[in-house]
Amino acid sequence: MQTVTLKPKKEIKISVEGENISADIFSGKTEKEIHALVAWMGNQKTTIGELFSVKVEGSGPAADTKIILEGDFSRVKRIGEGMTAGLILITGNVDMHLGAKMSGGKISVKGNVDSWAGREMKGGELIIEGNAAYYLGAGYRGESCGMRGGKITVMGNALDFVGEHMCGGEIIVKGNTGILPGLSNNGGKIVIGGNTSRPGSEMSKGTIIVNGKVEEMMPVFKLEGDEIVDGVTYKKYTGDVIGNGKGLLYVK
Amino acid sequence: MELLIKNGAVVDPVNGNKGDKTDISIKDGKIVKTVSSKATIIDAGGRLVMAGGVDAHSHIAGAKVNVGRMMRPEDSRSGISPRTKITRPCTGYTVPNVYAMGYRYAQMGYTTVFEAAQAIMKARHTHEELEEIPIIDKGALTLFGSNWPTMDFVREKDMDKLAAYVSWGLLASRGFGVKCVNPGGGEMWGFGKNVTGIDDVVPGFDVTPKEIIVSLMKVNEMLGLPHSVHLHCNNLGNPGNYKTTLASMELANQVKASKKRQVMHVTHLLFNSWGGTNWGDFESKADEVANFLNNHKNVTGDMGQMIFGSATTMTADGPKQYANAKLLHAKWSNGDVELEDASGVVPIYYVKQISVHAIMWAIGLELALLTKDPYQMLLTTDHPNGGPFVNYSEVIALLMSNKKRQEEIKTVHEAVHAKNKLPGLDRELDFSEIAIMTRAGTAKVLGLLDTKGHLGVGADADISIYDIKPDQIDPTVEHAKIKSAFSSAAYTIKGGNVVVKDGQITATPLGRTYWVDAKVPQQHHDEMMKDIVKKFKNYYSMQLANYMVQDEYLTHQQVVKAGIIPAEVN
Repeated sequence: MQTVTLKPKKEIKISVEGENISADIFSGKTEKEIHALVAWMGNQKTTIGELFSVKVEGSGPAADTKIILEGDFSRVKRIGEGMTAGLILITGNVDMHLGAKMSGGKISVKGNVDSWAGREMKGGELIIEGNAAYYLGAGYRGESCGMRGGKITVMGNALDFVGEHMCGGEIIVKGNTGILPGLSNNGGKIVIGGNTSRPGSEMSKGTIIVNGKVEEMMPVFKLEGDEIVDGVTYKKYTGDVIGNGKGLLYVK
Repeated sequence: MELLIKNGAVVDPVNGNKGDKTDISIKDGKIVKTVSSKATIIDAGGRLVMAGGVDAHSHIAGAKVNVGRMMRPEDSRSGISPRTKITRPCTGYTVPNVYAMGYRYAQMGYTTVFEAAQAIMKARHTHEELEEIPIIDKGALTLFGSNWPTMDFVREKDMDKLAAYVSWGLLASRGFGVKCVNPGGGEMWGFGKNVTGIDDVVPGFDVTPKEIIVSLMKVNEMLGLPHSVHLHCNNLGNPGNYKTTLASMELANQVKASKKRQVMHVTHLLFNSWGGTNWGDFESKADEVANFLNNHKNVTGDMGQMIFGSATTMTADGPKQYANAKLLHAKWSNGDVELEDASGVVPIYYVKQISVHAIMWAIGLELALLTKDPYQMLLTTDHPNGGPFVNYSEVIALLMSNKKRQEEIKTVHEAVHAKNKLPGLDRELDFSEIAIMTRAGTAKVLGLLDTKGHLGVGADADISIYDIKPDQIDPTVEHAKIKSAFSSAAYTIKGGNVVVKDGQITATPLGRTYWVDAKVPQQHHDEMMKDIVKKFKNYYSMQLANYMVQDEYLTHQQVVKAGIIPAEVN
């Protein structure tokens, strides 16, 4: 078991590229080695050691590595990018692209996450106790497949475009989401506990379940009647009918 | 500056060298007989030496390429490398940025590349990009197949005017040759339609694709252009299209070549050698097409080999691209070039386990293996339609090793066993044949064999050295080494400068842009211009004065002279 604790040495005002903060990269490394890892701050090349205090206890493979991020990481992007195993615990907020392209392991955030969390994620788990911003589990610009596998859970709310271009996996938002969750969906499942608006346009596959109120429906869904899912009765829609889509939308 | 390459195993089919140890002397950017004792010496140490690679068909610059970049930001995210002291930053895989185009070709040992399609109206954009592509020599073929003036003059059967238009169009676009894409189809796409064969009549113009092809071949030979007509056949990408392809190639017999080369080059034949009637009974007809080429020396072709993975299809064949986008549920960009052309860009992902893709992959290889004369079947991937050019080494390894092909066949959809001949083909190409498909043949087809594609005295000092010793390697077995060597040259020498060493860029001189200045009698030009002026007045959205590409766009131009051949020579 290896535990690595990072704390910012001072307030970070300019965003930092934190793609080296991942269990795969930290595992088996000493404090000194982690200190030397590159972390760009704006257009300045710097190191993790210069920005953060690093404490390492024990040593182990990625799957047995725990990273604890204490303090304010709200300007640190790309934490856990491409991670395949291990655990990251974040006590505060983080910047964009948390867990992007990760394929395994678990990231748990006590605070809020900025946009693109879980972008193009393939596997593993992301638990966000606060709120998520835009494009949760979506595909980055131009990408035809967003989230492909794994699970994202948000205890709070999420903003617009949750799971855009999603191809697989599961996103659960306990609170409300902004407009167009599941836009251009091609697979996977999105469960929204609260309210949303205009879910699922351009959907070709996949499932969206809305337990709250849908403020506005896109006129591209066909009502198929009532259906009981997990003991709850929903109105079942299919669409997007314009693109001959086979997406499923369940609204309470 | 003088340079001497010693101890190279030189493979130079034009000069009959099949791997003998020969020294190559270079002075002032040219290959010479001898150099002085002051020459810098490169010891090839028995490694493979070839002329710099020449690519006759690749989409490297211009409006379509840039549309591909704009609509595929996800592609730009791959292939990123930061700037170094020598090179500028690179991005992209299927649609790399301009710098990467030059660096990556040079790293493979290529030194000359021709952009396969530019509309005259968009030529300025093409040249803006060509000017920024480092290292390689380049040029662009100009589209003439669906232009209104072309179709008008074809209907009037006025070959003098058509020749004058081609000559002027080449000047206006600073183009190198005549490209003809889905003739007539680009115009019909303006009305949401397409031509289905070479005998359909284009409404409003009363001409058929057949007449357009034959007329363009005639004027191409009247003008004595270095390259022949470069044809992208009608019906491309439709099952059963091999019949259209054969009928189009048959037209070559109606025209006599003005030079020692083909009269018609049919490009990316992979997409034109399809049997069947739909995607269910889709099958390869590469054997029929190759058989035609084996019996007709006046036609050449190139493979357009498909590479599994990401590709971006881009072509002046607008209607085809609409069909592709619908079929694939993919992003689609459509372009309309006023009186000249249509175009379209659609990303695609070729998958080994999709039967149609597997059959297509095998068709490309069949074409190369079944065409007996490698001078008639050039190696291309129709970059980036079949796949990015950086995969040429993969294609070379596949062509040289049946073992590799059989290994690959095991990983692709089983349909190739029933629909293709590839599993039973045991031909394995040697280094000379590869040199022809990538150098001598491409240079000959382009009409540049005097200075490109070989290592004889007088040729440009464009040379590549690969990290393999031909006498110590069995390419049929050690295909992985072949692939790795051809993907990253030990040395690339461009115009006498070492531009790549051990796969790394060492210098970035700017290459030249080739274009053809074809003169026609003044009265033909004047007559033709009356029509053109009318077209601009009535239809074009731009002024004639703003239409021509000026010299400012070509800081390193290489003009090839051509024109109406005097009667006595004829």
